[in-house]
Amino acid sequence: MKRLWLGAGVAVAPVLFAVAMVAGRQAPDGGAMGEVAQESEQSQPIQFPHDTHAGQFLIDCQYCHFSAERSVDAGIPPVATCVGCHQAIPGRNDPAEVARVIEYHDSGTPIPWKRIYKVADHVKFPHMRHVAAGVTCQTCHGEVQAMGVLEEMAPEAGDLRMGWCVSCHLERGASRDCTVCHY
Amino acid sequence: MSDGYGRRDFLKVVGAGSAGAAVAGCSTDSVERLIPYVTPPEEITPGVATWYASTCGECAGGCGIRVRTREGRAVMIEGNPDHPVSRGGVCSRGVSALQALYNPDRVAAPMRSGPNGFEQISWDEALEILVDRLDTGGRSLFLTGRKGPTEGAFLSSFVDAVGGRRVIHDPLDDSALRRATEIAFGVNALPRYDIAAADFLVSFGADFLETWLSPVSFGADFAAMHGVDHGAKGKFVFVGPRLSLTGQNADEWIPARAGSETQVALAVAGELIRRGADAGPYTELVAGYGLEEAAEAAGVEADALVALADQFEAGTGLALGPGAAGHHQTATAANLAVLILNAAAGSLGHTMHIDDAPDIEASSYAEVASAIREMSGGVYGAAVVAGTNPAYSLPPAAGFRDAFALVPFKVAFATTLDETSAMADLVLPDAHALESWGDAIPSPGTYSVRQPAMRPVPAYDSRPMSDVLLEAGRRLGQDFGTPSFRDYLRGAHDAWLAQNGEAAGLAGDPSALWRELLRTGSVSYADLTPGIDALQAPTTAVDFRMPRLSGDGELTLLVYPSPRFGDGTHANRPWLQELPDPVSKVMWHSWAEVNPATAERLGLRSGDIVSIDSANGAVEVPVWTYPGIREDFVALAMGGGHTEYGQFANGNGVNPMELLPEATDAVSGTLALVSTRVTVTATGAWRRLTSTEGSSDQDDRNITPAVALSALGHAPEDEHGADDAHDQIRELQEGGGFRPVATEGLAEDFPLPGSDFGEYDHEGPRWAMSIDLDKCTGCGACITACQAENNIPWVGEVQATMGREMHWMRLERYYETVDASHSGPVDIRFLPMLCQHCNNAPCEPVCPVFAAYHTPDGLNAQAYNRCVGTRYCANNCPYKVRVFNWYRYTRENIPEPMNWQFNPDVTVRDNGVMEKCTFCVQRIREAGNRAAVEGRDVRDGEVRPACQSVCPAEVIRFGNIRDHESQVAAAATDERAYRVLDAFINTQPAVHYLKKVTHHDVDEGGH
Repeated sequence: MKRLWLGAGVAVAPVLFAVAMVAGRQAPDGGAMGEVAQESEQSQPIQFPHDTHAGQFLIDCQYCHFSAERSVDAGIPPVATCVGCHQAIPGRNDPAEVARVIEYHDSGTPIPWKRIYKVADHVKFPHMRHVAAGVTCQTCHGEVQAMGVLEEMAPEAGDLRMGWCVSCHLERGASRDCTVCHY
Repeated sequence: MSDGYGRRDFLKVVGAGSAGAAVAGCSTDSVERLIPYVTPPEEITPGVATWYASTCGECAGGCGIRVRTREGRAVMIEGNPDHPVSRGGVCSRGVSALQALYNPDRVAAPMRSGPNGFEQISWDEALEILVDRLDTGGRSLFLTGRKGPTEGAFLSSFVDAVGGRRVIHDPLDDSALRRATEIAFGVNALPRYDIAAADFLVSFGADFLETWLSPVSFGADFAAMHGVDHGAKGKFVFVGPRLSLTGQNADEWIPARAGSETQVALAVAGELIRRGADAGPYTELVAGYGLEEAAEAAGVEADALVALADQFEAGTGLALGPGAAGHHQTATAANLAVLILNAAAGSLGHTMHIDDAPDIEASSYAEVASAIREMSGGVYGAAVVAGTNPAYSLPPAAGFRDAFALVPFKVAFATTLDETSAMADLVLPDAHALESWGDAIPSPGTYSVRQPAMRPVPAYDSRPMSDVLLEAGRRLGQDFGTPSFRDYLRGAHDAWLAQNGEAAGLAGDPSALWRELLRTGSVSYADLTPGIDALQAPTTAVDFRMPRLSGDGELTLLVYPSPRFGDGTHANRPWLQELPDPVSKVMWHSWAEVNPATAERLGLRSGDIVSIDSANGAVEVPVWTYPGIREDFVALAMGGGHTEYGQFANGNGVNPMELLPEATDAVSGTLALVSTRVTVTATGAWRRLTSTEGSSDQDDRNITPAVALSALGHAPEDEHGADDAHDQIRELQEGGGFRPVATEGLAEDFPLPGSDFGEYDHEGPRWAMSIDLDKCTGCGACITACQAENNIPWVGEVQATMGREMHWMRLERYYETVDASHSGPVDIRFLPMLCQHCNNAPCEPVCPVFAAYHTPDGLNAQAYNRCVGTRYCANNCPYKVRVFNWYRYTRENIPEPMNWQFNPDVTVRDNGVMEKCTFCVQRIREAGNRAAVEGRDVRDGEVRPACQSVCPAEVIRFGNIRDHESQVAAAATDERAYRVLDAFINTQPAVHYLKKVTHHDVDEGGH
């Protein structure tokens, strides 16, 4: 692994392992899933339409992003969450894609989502505080319920840079102390 | 991806159940991956720590721990406050278990020794070889360390089943104490000491706060006994040739020679008997021991021994020991003498209890010696070594290496290779204690379970030894009826309950009890062990004379277990290597302790490298002059001089065992650690000690003032007047810890603008800490806990020698009164020094970029992302608590997978950034987040910084000082409270220290 990050020593590969380990499964080397991961290096491994789920069917964000109201992390849905519905719902628009989700699940492989929203390692963004304060998901993430496959940050969302965070903290009278976010 | 990220390519574990995973690089097109669970584990919420209650496996003490895990990785170990023995404390060695778990030197896969060294093989092959070679027709030797009761019982029954002999090797075995207890009371067990119930404590060299039996538990007891409470505190006298850390906590020191414990204890017992006490069948024998002769043998004044007798007579006494200095060729006699003294002093049944509970995992060197003879004689076809390292920990004179090499087939179960397993023909990677099941009975009436805190680290294909042996047993036709040791343990638990549950008061569904046990980590039950309350007539002849010493050197060699490394087991951990030794403050390398008078006589200074020669060997080691050791002794700690233990241990320091002859105590068979005289000669070379000891003298700065016990309750009226002091304190609390004071010229400037920078929230909490110096024993557990919690790197010997160690906390140690030439008061002061979070902080106004500033809730904050590394703040800090990351320590010193231990809640800092104690702001924020979501305020005691969460003595309190009901506010208004240097430079720290209380009169100075 190249070591060129700044202040971000929380190494990444072991984290991946750790998660796979806790899930009790090891990702198989190569095989069908390996190819999937490879070909989708720059795009999402599953063409997940947020508009269908959150827009059309009005599924609450926190149904999948299950820990947003009680954790600093919003939570990426476990593959089992997808399959919970999709074992009964074949997916009208794109059944092939749903089949691939089932395949991930059945082979015990986590879906390697491409990360879109992130803040720097020295920034702490406790999701639960923002949810509790009534900040909507859309404030930071954009109108996700109207978007198809998320490949990049929504244009109407904030840029997640400090000035943008602070402007909202100012507006809402939230603390602007450095150690609220940086420690 | 926006431009804002590409340049730096930050990685972040925002783990959404998961975590950021990615290809790291500096290009903008790198992709970070979010890896979800396939099926989520029930107990895990991403971003929220999961805690497991377990039992520490680092020594035989059996302390309760809580392991903090994040997304399946163990990241922190704290004490378990619900554990009846350790009561919330854990030592540095316990915390550092994380570095054994993630050690880069762990054995990755089974290995077979071949012509080109070890070659990796599969577990199937390994098991096949193991089963094949263990089939020796009963000619197998199992040499193991001490195990928990169930694992030990399993091992013994396994050995019985497959045929062979099991020998337990523990270099620090307590067989002399057990044997003495057997002679005196008829049961081969350890006495149970109740230090807290005593008001007068004598230790005959027993380092009960560091290495002796159960240091964490004793630490808590000692704090209760010795900490001042309602104007009273117990007294502690240390008898021995060298002040260990335990000795440094004493009120008085009787610098008796090693080997004279027997004479001193018997003479004091004799004096008590002459005054009318009774020592059962020993009364007549003991009455013949006179104080004058004992004082002569010990090289101390008879008056001091009379005073001991007086105090035993006056109070509820307890004698402990002997310790390392009593590990000599009449060790059983010395232990017996101390037991007799306890009986004569009336301790039996009050402060010392004898339970009829023999320990099946007891051991003695004599058995190891006989196994060595048998190995040499070709008795064994195979030898299995697990959890013990005799090739390192025995004197070469014992002949272990040669004998072991003769065994045709040698198997080692090992987490990391060591000197012994490196000689093996087959090495099987053992699981670490944090990955496996086990148990402990740390005290009769307490059962403590060890459960895995995480799945085995995937980089290492390890398996718990018990599981491997269960499988091997099956293949050898010995089925234990269970597929895994977890089930075996559970079965033993249920079987015990079925038999004893009702009588022990543990009735109920075994499954429910087991679940509760896993939740709490331990269970207390009605102890059914009968007690023994009278001495019995001796059945064994015991020689009460002074032990023999071999060699003809001038100085007697004292070898003692290291507070950091024990017998050397814990040496391959950088946290412990860089933890300053609590006595010498030396890191990484070994040192020889000699008295300054001896050093002067030999023409030596601290740092001079000397050759220490005995009839058995020689080592070269730098001298550290120490007034806390007798002039006729030289002391060396165990744990150094490893050759094949791993990258952090090899080549650091020397192994003092190389100097020792194979001398034993004839009665118990224990190995003598004080058995030879040595010569010390200068080599002419000198090295700078890698030490954090700036000065051992306060130089009238009154950094750690003390107050005499007799002066307590009077001081404030005398100096300031009580009302004045209380007014000031009230004002301080109203202002949230910041007390405006008149200063020369610029009074109107206070409070300084910097302190209410930003939106200063006067309604919010004001965080503060109190540290009770009367209870602090200087053990240093807080330092390691801080390092573990806050991702603090180690810098290595070279950088540390330049003073670049990065601990956010250190333990200052100042000598006030230490004199080895005669008995008398000893006064050594400890001061845990961390960022004082000054309300008027000198570091803040000098920062050109506002990286150092004050937060509304009273923290002296350091914004890493603002810091440009001018280091002005460190230069201006009067407490020297700011540390600078000079090189890429976090990147380059910390190898995979040790970085798995990183706390994801704390930024990993890089070079060029100043850092320091944050009061564990991540824990404050976590508690604040929790409280906000639940719509309440943070409760007092809810935020526990890492240092507080391991302290055995409950020295540290943390909380909101504006809350008048909080513990920290109460401590701040205590009459012993003071703030370091505040009176001189008006820094107004948020850390309040409570003065040490002495039995002797002290000059209280200006505070």
